[in-house]
Amino acid sequence: MAKTKRTIVGSPLTPTMLEELGAIGELPLRSDDFDPDGNWVNTYRVWICHGYRESGNEEVGHLRIERTSGKSGKSFTLKVDQQIVNYEGALHSVHAGIRCLNNRLASPVRWGLTSSFIGPDGKRRRELGTEEKVQIKADAIEVETDRRTFKRKGSTQLTSDWCLFDAVQRLAFEQDSSLTFDVLEGLSLLRQGHHLSYRGLYPININGKDLSLHWFSQLGHGLLPYDYWLDEHHRLLMAITLSRAYILDDKAPARTKLIAETQRRLFQQRQETNKGGKSK
Amino acid sequence: MSNKNKTNRADGINRREFIKIGSGGALLLAGGSLGINAFASPKNSTPNILLIITDQQHIDTVAAGGCRYVRTPALDQLKNRGFSFDQSHSTNPVCSPARSSIFTGRTTSETGVYVNGRSVRSDIPNLGQWFSQETDYETVYAGKWHVPKSYTHFIPGFNVLHTGISGQGNLGDTCASRACEGFLRNRSSSRPFFMVASFLQPHDICEWLRLNTHNPDRLRYPELADKLPPLPDNFEFDPREPDYIKQTRLGRDPVKGNWSKQQWQFYLWSYYRHIEMVDGEIGRLLQALQDTGNDRDTLILLTSDHGEGLGHHQMVRKSSPYDEAMKVPLFVSWPGHIPENKTDTTHLVSGLDIMPTLCEYTGIKPPKKMRGKSLRPLLEGNSVPWHPCVFTELNGNRARVVRTEHYKYITYVNETVEQLFDMQADPGETKNLAASSKHASALAEHKKLLIDWESRLDVAPNLPHADAWWRKG
Repeated sequence: MAKTKRTIVGSPLTPTMLEELGAIGELPLRSDDFDPDGNWVNTYRVWICHGYRESGNEEVGHLRIERTSGKSGKSFTLKVDQQIVNYEGALHSVHAGIRCLNNRLASPVRWGLTSSFIGPDGKRRRELGTEEKVQIKADAIEVETDRRTFKRKGSTQLTSDWCLFDAVQRLAFEQDSSLTFDVLEGLSLLRQGHHLSYRGLYPININGKDLSLHWFSQLGHGLLPYDYWLDEHHRLLMAITLSRAYILDDKAPARTKLIAETQRRLFQQRQETNKGGKSK
Repeated sequence: MSNKNKTNRADGINRREFIKIGSGGALLLAGGSLGINAFASPKNSTPNILLIITDQQHIDTVAAGGCRYVRTPALDQLKNRGFSFDQSHSTNPVCSPARSSIFTGRTTSETGVYVNGRSVRSDIPNLGQWFSQETDYETVYAGKWHVPKSYTHFIPGFNVLHTGISGQGNLGDTCASRACEGFLRNRSSSRPFFMVASFLQPHDICEWLRLNTHNPDRLRYPELADKLPPLPDNFEFDPREPDYIKQTRLGRDPVKGNWSKQQWQFYLWSYYRHIEMVDGEIGRLLQALQDTGNDRDTLILLTSDHGEGLGHHQMVRKSSPYDEAMKVPLFVSWPGHIPENKTDTTHLVSGLDIMPTLCEYTGIKPPKKMRGKSLRPLLEGNSVPWHPCVFTELNGNRARVVRTEHYKYITYVNETVEQLFDMQADPGETKNLAASSKHASALAEHKKLLIDWESRLDVAPNLPHADAWWRKG
């Protein structure tokens, strides 16, 4: 059979390119009452592109972040739920509750994090799960796991990729609007020397509606550039790093479940077919 | 494969007996109550094994090795606390073929994996199968396999931790390293482990290339302009190269996109970020080993399946016979057993040497017909006769490379152009000496090495171009 010809995308992913590739779909565009300093929930689908226009681009999970303001105003809480579908419907979930300082970096000061796995058979793989409780002490990170406490190297300018989803929403849309920091990716891997800055307006037509998004870029060690696009109410609509896009989508968690279940069912069907084939 | 005979140690005793009669006996008697540290190895015992594989890692991408464009604390740690080989080669600079050699100790024309997506011949055991048969090791595998499927629940001889996403190293590698971390933190078995952590990064550079093929009008991030790495010294290439290389280059993104030098530099900058990403995941594993007290009892071997063009000879990706694609990092560490911070700059080694090495360190004989040698004598500073050369095969069985201390000889199927490089005078492989009468004897000597090598191989059935190589031999 002849191979299907595929066209490379050729240019970096942007909101315009996502629209061209059919990845944006039903982006929620009404966020008139959104207050970045208040209580909010932003849910993103995690969509990946393999670099071709016609095939291989897929949704692989979701990231849900819920912000709750603290009573004193000095801190707030982020509740993070990320689920990523691995091959054959295996699922990796991370849940975190983060106490953040109410500063420009949304600096995480204390958090609990669980990482857990479900196999293609739909069963939890307890032997692969981990739990940790973490506190920031000066420039050190104190991690409690396995009922023991360990000290890790920290930073005085620390934030995390998930905290930045909050912090970027509280920046002014001005040319000199910027942040300098180190990132604790996934609240665990230290990525140093980052700078996030305002790039300007980004005009786009989504679902027939003309919009002017506000664009920020983040560069530093250990990560490929992150680009963030916000609406006029400072709500983060999309974030892109190379081939991965986070696209605002309230319905993403339900679809993650469906994607994982569908892949598991297909995997189990293949297993059954293989067994049948072998018994013959 | 039979699981009856677990006695294959060179000294004729099996592993369990070895532990009982050795100083580890007390640990064994204490059983599970010692939990994760039950195999806290005494000096002469056999270690846990952690085999870390990266995908498409150029050899010169480690800060501790002198690369000025990356921050790689985990790779630095592995290099500094162990032994590294500067002359380490892929057996075939493409994913599946190279992996088939790492896991079997056999050449790619023998395993039958001469291109991506093929299975290893069923009569050749992989490391997992061999360790399951010959030792009591708990064998686990996380991440990319690609022999033949990139990711699969079934890898013979291994308990597979289901983690990874095809073509998405960043997300998938995090899942893999998190699973490995969980495995290390939770395990209570008194058996030693053999864990493979096979990361996809920095292979996402292939996605980067497809998303940056078109030369942009200007640098996407202008603030990077003065931070971009310089182009390599051997950026230019000889227009009289063999067609195989010309065609490979023509099919690649920089030619399609007519890249500017700045776009080339942005590609280099981006590749180094991919390296840093996988460095973080490796760091998570090292941290888990340390936290669980396994760091001193674990032999860690890190390598990559093949390198990356990285602008040398204006190449990107793999499949070329030049050093940028052929050479791979190879670090081995085991505190107290393997000297720290040592670099071997002379011995020619390859993926074929990994299986014999791991077998020797676990006290078992390797399978028959190993084409490589155990690195243990080199790692422990003992003088032994070593390979005078290493051989590399190329994608589709279309070329052969013979590398000796002084020269590299490359020959192709259906090509009149051969290549001979003086690797001491011209390490960048810029001057082809194959037609030079001054080097005629070197050329003849390398052809002879290839003929001898071909004659010893037990090649897989239905191998393309097998006749051509046989005729050359």
